[in-house]
Amino acid sequence: MTRYAMVIDLNTCVGCNACMAACAMENQTPVWKNQWRTWVHDKEIGTADDITRRFFPRLCNHCDNPPCMTVCPTGATYRMDSGIVMVDDARCMGCGACAMACPYKARYPITYDDIDKGEEFFGHDAWRKHPSVDKCDFCAHRVAKGEKPACVETCVGSARMFGDLDDPNDPITKLVKSSIARPLMSYMGTHPNVYYIDDLKRKG
Amino acid sequence: MDVTMSYVTQDWWTWWFAIYLFFGGMGAAIMAVAFLTDMYLKRHPNLVIWGMISSIVMLSLGSGMLFLHLLDHIAVIHVLNPMVLLNKPDAWIAWGTQFITWMMVWGVLYPLPYLIESRFFLGFPLVGGILRWSIVKKVAAVCERYHKLLGWLATINGIGVAVYTGLLIQSFPAVPLWHNPGVPVLFTVSAFSTAIAFLLVMLNVFFYDSEDHKIHVFYERTDLILISAELVVIFSFFQYLQVGEESAASASFKLLFTDPGWLIGFIGFGLIVPFLLELKGVIKGWSTRIPIITASLLVMMGGYLLRHYFMYSGVYSHPW
Repeated sequence: MTRYAMVIDLNTCVGCNACMAACAMENQTPVWKNQWRTWVHDKEIGTADDITRRFFPRLCNHCDNPPCMTVCPTGATYRMDSGIVMVDDARCMGCGACAMACPYKARYPITYDDIDKGEEFFGHDAWRKHPSVDKCDFCAHRVAKGEKPACVETCVGSARMFGDLDDPNDPITKLVKSSIARPLMSYMGTHPNVYYIDDLKRKG
Repeated sequence: MDVTMSYVTQDWWTWWFAIYLFFGGMGAAIMAVAFLTDMYLKRHPNLVIWGMISSIVMLSLGSGMLFLHLLDHIAVIHVLNPMVLLNKPDAWIAWGTQFITWMMVWGVLYPLPYLIESRFFLGFPLVGGILRWSIVKKVAAVCERYHKLLGWLATINGIGVAVYTGLLIQSFPAVPLWHNPGVPVLFTVSAFSTAIAFLLVMLNVFFYDSEDHKIHVFYERTDLILISAELVVIFSFFQYLQVGEESAASASFKLLFTDPGWLIGFIGFGLIVPFLLELKGVIKGWSTRIPIITASLLVMMGGYLLRHYFMYSGVYSHPW
């Protein structure tokens, strides 16, 4: 079996936001209303001259126990055998229950208006036809071809690593097993598949 | 992972969703209470017919609120299909949609024998004509034969809708205010309390009959018990939400228990004042109908405020 996961090293993220740009172009997210499948928190932690600037990339955590999938009444949100949580936009009625259920704020609306704007913005390449409550899908179309997600491919600091947790030789499996990389809000019981290596300079 | 948390509310399901929950719960419980009254307390065609109409109007208004806010109105077909319960039995919206749909179906059939004999409805231009159709009379005869079965089918679906309104927001694990077993209990009790309040207004204002005294007494006593239960649950929330200094629960506590709308509007005028008015009515009685009508109107106002404040006070913990 395959169980895809991502490890993000907060020590090497330089906050260039190239991941956001790459994802937006790859997945045609509605950048005109500042909504993204992946985004980077940019925070200053500390006071006066003792301040650390910290970048914290975020995305859908592709939970093993995804609350967004449970509450979805149409079955539009589903989980592939590889662990990737997907959205079937043709089946999604856009009730927003998934957005209400997600602890990671990973879901955002794509409206008919966004589809129209997308056709202007992306031109002939525009592919969205249905409104939906969208989210990251680990670039499943790229992964199916053996490529890495766009955000991982473009990351200049190599902060994002993508791999298979069921492969014992995969570098990310070692990081996760050794607990160097840890999930976000694991107490929620969602069993996320995005892990973070803590920022050693962190003072907040 | 070691992160800093922000405590934030959501801006997607706001006042319009509170209306959906309010009309859904109250409308469903109105039908259930009216039909149970007719089956086991006193035969009451007026209560059944107008209860059914009010219920369907409220459920349509509530569901209409949700429908209007969907991103893709055509895809709603997936939840209207009863097979959704096999495909998505874990999604409460799927159950709620089916409960609402089937409650309306059984709800229209149950009072049909009364409707075809109602002078008022037979006098209506279009409705009266339809009620005179022979096929409608045949269906009404079947409904008469299976009166209690239809009544119970509508009632069970009605109770399902009332409970569903609570179970739905309980299913969001990120929000401590919502994700606890007290919510379905609170919303169900509130749905039946507001429904009885609505039926008391109908009985006192629109078709007052001294022969309905037994129903009045039963409703007032039941409402008193329901309001008491609601106060106990609210007190439990008051205790439960005071968890730590920095938590989503304590943020919800601050939003609710420092807001005059919640404290004075909901707890004061929506629960305590009607409780006292109905208590006096049950113990000593009132010489006029005004206090009970006032209490009922306040209970309904409180029912909306409860859901309104619950939607706006659900706090998420967001890491950064």
